[in-house]
Amino acid sequence: MYPGQEPERPRRPAVSRPALAAMRVFGAVAALLLAALAAPAGMRADASVAEPAGYWTGDINSPTPATLQGGQVIHTTQTSRLVKAGGAIIVDVSTAPRRPQELAPNAPWLPVPHPGIPGAVWIPGAGLGVIPAALNDFYRARLATLTEGDFSRALVIYCHQRCWLSWNAARRAIHYGYRNVSWFPEGIEGWKAKGLQTQTLEPQAPRPGS
Amino acid sequence: MGMRKGVWLAAALMVLSAASLPSASRSGTQTTGNSDDDASRATRWKALQQAIFPGKTLQDGGGVVQIDAPPRALDAALVPVRLSFPGKEAVRSVWLIIDQNPSPLAAHVTFGPRADARMLEMRVRVDAYTDLHAVAATADGKLYSTAQFIKAAGGCSAPAGPDDAAALQDVGTMKLRLIGPFTPGRPMQARLMIRHPNFNGMQMNQITRLYTSARFIRTIDATYDGGSVFHLDSDISLSSDPVITFGFVPQRKGQIRIVTRDSSNATFDHRFDVPGAGT
Repeated sequence: MYPGQEPERPRRPAVSRPALAAMRVFGAVAALLLAALAAPAGMRADASVAEPAGYWTGDINSPTPATLQGGQVIHTTQTSRLVKAGGAIIVDVSTAPRRPQELAPNAPWLPVPHPGIPGAVWIPGAGLGVIPAALNDFYRARLATLTEGDFSRALVIYCHQRCWLSWNAARRAIHYGYRNVSWFPEGIEGWKAKGLQTQTLEPQAPRPGS
Repeated sequence: MGMRKGVWLAAALMVLSAASLPSASRSGTQTTGNSDDDASRATRWKALQQAIFPGKTLQDGGGVVQIDAPPRALDAALVPVRLSFPGKEAVRSVWLIIDQNPSPLAAHVTFGPRADARMLEMRVRVDAYTDLHAVAATADGKLYSTAQFIKAAGGCSAPAGPDDAAALQDVGTMKLRLIGPFTPGRPMQARLMIRHPNFNGMQMNQITRLYTSARFIRTIDATYDGGSVFHLDSDISLSSDPVITFGFVPQRKGQIRIVTRDSSNATFDHRFDVPGAGT
């Protein structure tokens, strides 16, 4: 829900009082069930966080909104269904670890293999609030290749729970013109929490100097 | 109505508990390569042991070294870790390893003759759900290892603060707070606070959105009246504005001197009176 948008409220139908009471109880239970099924406790998006007008340039690891204008917000079950069905382009936009030059030459540098959703393409930096031109071109070109230029192809963008990079990257894809963009806010933590299979991903990046 | 509500609730609870069953059993997929499963954590630790302690045997650290850290850290960029050494055999040095961090060796601390080497506390960054390992070397050269699993994520790439320039403004400023009474010849503790952003090169500037160059503390030397209390080697896994609590034995009134060097070769040198410092 973003500022200026009124929530849609279905009109209450004219029904008898006892039936109404029963419906209320049913409604409450159904709402509870839906909420519980949608996302495990502690992972749900914060409904109080509004969508920013542009890309998010604040703290990357902070509560994210429950919505994405022009796209859909999907959760683990839907994501796993899309992955199983095939055809959707899955994009991981998590940050890749970078070895600082200043690190002592003998200091152990052992980044762990990056677990991702099987078949996903890892494009670090695609979700930066302000993106370098070369990286923006790279992200756009990779999506064009992966979707074979089909703007109606399903895209699923994710990173980590409570991380804005995937929200930004999904918004960016929508602005490129993709019409079927889904954002998976629970990210790899939500995926792993359901015991789903992961695959080690290698980062894809523009060639230096390009 | 009350009855019906009760039935509804019971039904809802049944569905809820079914929904909370691990979905792996329903979907038929398998978990592989997760950093939070036991097998891959053990594999990781084996690889780290080979990298950090090649050819050495690590013994079970129970009774020699203990770790106390919050099992679920509120802030991954600032996880307090307390090491204690309850054994009879004196501990000469200790390694703190954050298994899943890309630079897993957070600190190696060597205790000097003026140390009270029964505890050490520091704050570290954690990038993922991870095991922490503490490996203590005793005077007889044996190595003892202990572990604790903690849940925290995002500490390595989390922005350090709103402004790099502000973070560097008073870099190297230190405070030292004495804990407990000063009695000549009796051990006491001190908490050292150093203003330093400890940029790890993975944080992003909030304004420019570019990576901030790494600048981190490489060594801290603490001495008491010229005798070593501890020497610490570290790099990018210490938190920004590091806080280190240590024990020492002042034989008489004197001075703690702290010399810190960072990766830009800046040296920060401060002296604190004991008793007196910041108390």
